[in-house]
Amino acid sequence: MRMNPQQTYESIAQLVDRLQAIGLPLQLVLAAAAVTLAAVAYLPALAAWRGRALAAMVALLVGGELVLVWFHYRLWQLAVVVDPATGLLSGHVAPPLWIESEKLYVWALVTAVMGVALRRHREELLPSVMLAVAVLTVGGSLFSQPFTDPLPGFLGQYTGYLQAMATGGQSASGAFQGMESARQFYYNSWFMWVHPPLLFFGYGAFTISFLASVQMIRRRHSAYETTAYRWARFGYLPLTFGMLIGFPWALAAWSGESWWWSGKVNMSIMMWLLYTALLHARLYLRQRGMWKAVAALAVLSFAILILTYATTYIVPGAHSYAAVDVTALQALSTRPITGGRC
Amino acid sequence: MPRVEDIHQRTWDFGLTVLTVALLASLGIQSFVGTLWVWVSERTYPAWSQGTGYAAYVEVMNLIAAPQVIALVVVMGLCVPKRLFSRSMLLGVSLGMIVVGVVVGLVTDSLGRGLAVYLGLAAVIQVAVVLMTVAGVRGPSYLTEGRLTKTGSGLLHLGFLIFGIVIVALQRSSLMLPVFWTSAMLVTVGTALSFYANRLAVHRAAPQTEILFAEDGERP
Repeated sequence: MRMNPQQTYESIAQLVDRLQAIGLPLQLVLAAAAVTLAAVAYLPALAAWRGRALAAMVALLVGGELVLVWFHYRLWQLAVVVDPATGLLSGHVAPPLWIESEKLYVWALVTAVMGVALRRHREELLPSVMLAVAVLTVGGSLFSQPFTDPLPGFLGQYTGYLQAMATGGQSASGAFQGMESARQFYYNSWFMWVHPPLLFFGYGAFTISFLASVQMIRRRHSAYETTAYRWARFGYLPLTFGMLIGFPWALAAWSGESWWWSGKVNMSIMMWLLYTALLHARLYLRQRGMWKAVAALAVLSFAILILTYATTYIVPGAHSYAAVDVTALQALSTRPITGGRC
Repeated sequence: MPRVEDIHQRTWDFGLTVLTVALLASLGIQSFVGTLWVWVSERTYPAWSQGTGYAAYVEVMNLIAAPQVIALVVVMGLCVPKRLFSRSMLLGVSLGMIVVGVVVGLVTDSLGRGLAVYLGLAAVIQVAVVLMTVAGVRGPSYLTEGRLTKTGSGLLHLGFLIFGIVIVALQRSSLMLPVFWTSAMLVTVGTALSFYANRLAVHRAAPQTEILFAEDGERP
């Protein structure tokens, strides 16, 4: 297959421009909607509108997700990997919908959907769930910028590959190996299409579980703990399965890399252990003083969940976006594309 | 009026649960300290994770985790089949398994092999417990109600034991994937059953009455 790196780059640059043209106003709408959602959550005069406001937020977030689906689909069509030695097409790159700058957005979406589905203690929990969704939406759209700075790591790496292909020679061969490896073991890996959504499903459920635990602490009633438990077990199942399937994938994809006991892996294990401890401790909730231990574990577990998420960006390692040399990633044109961890 | 044996049983169960929670928390703390260690080391020494420092760190982490994992398995072994044997016999069996694991570890000069043998023995007992639970034999005791729920609990613990064997002994084996998927399915199905089996049951366990927590933990 003959590949024209310059043309491919320009097509992708046009696609990014189109996403940004849609994404910039969408980002502002999402931010405004998040502020409105938080206001509706806590203004008593608007209490009757809470359910509808959250449903509207879900619709908006789903709309944004559909834009990302379209972007990823077009990207998949354009981003091909060709072996410079043979000229044969290795395949298209299919970056999953929940990596890099899109992670927090997916967490916001999942939590919002769960908030709409919430039935038990709905009235008491809805304001805090709405606030959580508002915070996640602001973080997921304004700070992560999935619409205006999409997939910086992938685009950086792919641009580097195109640049090397345009240059030819040894650098093309090396860039092909890196890109093809990332395509097979990361972007197109079934694992990356299953593992993150399972975890974000868990994160969404744990968010609501935490909010119910806060109500338990405030009101000192076991009914809220029951609600917290139901959401915790709802999140624990996909979290456990999602983490388990990471093991054989890590053995294959990170062969030769230092990943065992790495920062993110440690924190993920810790989070899972704490939720396991919580589910065990609550069996004795009615024992003298145990509700305080259960409450403390619930708060600690969620705090560690947040820290686990943040670790990806703080502690370097195989499972991390921290400490990546972005200067190594160069654009073909004069407009640089910033890079990140693939 | 509750019988003295029941009170002892409940105290024993509670003690084991507290111990389980403490061990899980302890492993959690180790993971947290490990994260801090990685973070500081990466910031202090460039390319630390590529050098011998990382290998030494992994070795120390494995050494610290191993006794905690063994303790967790021992607690699990004491927890479920406690009505099959007397308590002293259970403790004896657990101690015997540890001794076998340590001997194998020393003879083969491999912590992994010792752990694998220990986990294998624990898995055999757990298989028996699961079969007895499925058959409805009076013996295995659980903190949960309902046969399906208990079966789920038994399966998920069995799954974790097998997963432990995969980690310590089968990483480079051709058996790794089939054994891994067996463990993953056991954990997932077991967890789902232990969480939701009550909904499927013909005779459902009655939900507990909700209570207000008093300051001292007593019912008001």
